[in-house]
Amino acid sequence: MDKSMIGDLDSLPEADKLRMAAMIEQLQVRDSLRMYNSLVERCFTDCVDSFKRKTLDKQEETCVRRCAEKFLKHSMRVGLRFAELNQGAPTPD
Amino acid sequence: MFQYFSQQFLLNYWEKTSVMMAANNLPREVNAEQIFGMAEKEMEYRVEFFNKLTHTCFNKCVEKKYKEGELYMGENTCIDRCVSKYQQVTNIIGQMLANGGRPM
Repeated sequence: MDKSMIGDLDSLPEADKLRMAAMIEQLQVRDSLRMYNSLVERCFTDCVDSFKRKTLDKQEETCVRRCAEKFLKHSMRVGLRFAELNQGAPTPD
Repeated sequence: MFQYFSQQFLLNYWEKTSVMMAANNLPREVNAEQIFGMAEKEMEYRVEFFNKLTHTCFNKCVEKKYKEGELYMGENTCIDRCVSKYQQVTNIIGQMLANGGRPM
């Protein structure tokens, strides 16, 4: 989301718009950082099991990349479905 | 994620503000503070809801083997249904809590 979303709501007083935008931005930053941490934790837990070396081997690295890619795609899909549900759109069974 | 519900959410809250102001004849500043406080709490709840939903459905639907970076067709369907069911569970619990949360 960007601040232009707030600009669409012309009926809001300017001060309120700014305050709301600041609040949303703060929540977004916090959420992005949390997502970063949890994704690292998830992919590390799922992909890294041995500590014979201190660097990741090729397999582990590929696994981590796929894990992150998969989770991000999953997250986008969940977002779409969530939005559909919120708008009350009929969804396939 | 934020683009999916923020606009709707803001519209809701500002409609409620005008209704409250009209009903109570209170100065606008008093209501604005309360509304901002509530809005912040609700947004935090929604963010957490979305995060839990995402993690739960990933755990339920996606194999940990990560053979590729794409989601399989079966996983896609599972995710869609998981989101739907999760929302239904949320609604049921919400109703039960709203009814006083008394043990049945």
